[in-house]
Amino acid sequence: MNEYITVRALLETNKRRLKLKLLCSVNGLNKKIVNAELHRPGLALSGFTGTFTYERIQILGNTEISFLKEMPNDALRKSIDKLLDFAIPVIIITSGNKPPAYLVEVATRRYIPILTTSIHTTEFSHLLADYLQREFAPRESFHGSLVDVYGVGILFSGRSGIGKSEIAMDLVERGHRLVADDLVVITRKSQDVLIGSGTAHSEHMMEIRGIGLIDVKRMFGIRGVRMQKRVEVEVHLEDWDESKEYERIGLDDKNTTILGVSIPQVLLPINPGKNITVISETIAMNQLLKTYGYHPAKEFNSNLKKHMQEKNASPLARDLDQLEKDFE
Amino acid sequence: MIEETLKITNKHGLHARPAAHLVKIAGKFKSEVKIFKDGLEVNAKSIMGVMMLAAEPGSDVLVHIDGEDEKEAFIEIKELFDNKFNEE
Repeated sequence: MNEYITVRALLETNKRRLKLKLLCSVNGLNKKIVNAELHRPGLALSGFTGTFTYERIQILGNTEISFLKEMPNDALRKSIDKLLDFAIPVIIITSGNKPPAYLVEVATRRYIPILTTSIHTTEFSHLLADYLQREFAPRESFHGSLVDVYGVGILFSGRSGIGKSEIAMDLVERGHRLVADDLVVITRKSQDVLIGSGTAHSEHMMEIRGIGLIDVKRMFGIRGVRMQKRVEVEVHLEDWDESKEYERIGLDDKNTTILGVSIPQVLLPINPGKNITVISETIAMNQLLKTYGYHPAKEFNSNLKKHMQEKNASPLARDLDQLEKDFE
Repeated sequence: MIEETLKITNKHGLHARPAAHLVKIAGKFKSEVKIFKDGLEVNAKSIMGVMMLAAEPGSDVLVHIDGEDEKEAFIEIKELFDNKFNEE
């Protein structure tokens, strides 16, 4: 997570997309924005600054600018002086409005940058909030591999050398898509969505022990990779431990928490003769079934309980009709 | 070799959860553990097998244990049946 972004970064990154222009105070470009929220300082302009959230980006739209323009000169100066007394990081004037000359004058003196845009306030606020939320989203790096398996984002974790990359590689070979290997950057989007991607320079490269670096995108083509994917299940690989209990039925779903978001976790012991790739595909499909409301273990158990209540049925008895029609 | 008839006394019979408990305990021992009911013979270390018995509440199953640690295995398995598979 970024603790702050500078006004310069905001301007440089969004110049074109948000049609931003710097109106004054080049000296203030290093001011820090520490908050993803926007504020329209209507009340502060009219004199009430009791709960003024000055640390936010201040947006002056049609309403604020017309209000200022209608003010008598004395009151205008007083209002602007009072407003800019606060340590405002940046003021953005939307809808192509022109600010009163006195506002620019004071802002320049106090090194408070003013940016302008031709975009209307509502649309601009949405676009800017989108950018800010991305910049300020909680983020962490995770040692593992992220693969899109049948549309389910599986995050493989486990000790170094247990075979995460090899499984990812095998999955790509079977037509699934690699997001990132070794280092996955996970960002929390909204309250319950985790998005995983690679780092800026990883470029879908992968290290396979014994070979070295593999360029997955070149080797398997564009269909074998993707840039980002929601993280939906964690598969934790570990060495088989005889004294440890592994899930046998799956009635109770196990969860893990990443960045405060709870996602299902599968503990998968590695032992000879086990095809982890196929098991991973099975995990993905099982997750899809559960997402669509079908829980195999619960369904089976409720059928079994029902069956036990009809005491007459012997476990060996099957539907004879089915056997009689089978002449092979 | 130990062979004994045990009664299922929990409310819902030998469904998935009790079966998991039984398999867990049977799996701890080296002895071979088999369960017989209505002509069906299953390995008590196999979860699907145990569930396939569909042993309803009040029914009897025959437990057959054979191996070096059969006594210890039987004590624990009997205890599980007596405790209604830790249910209720």
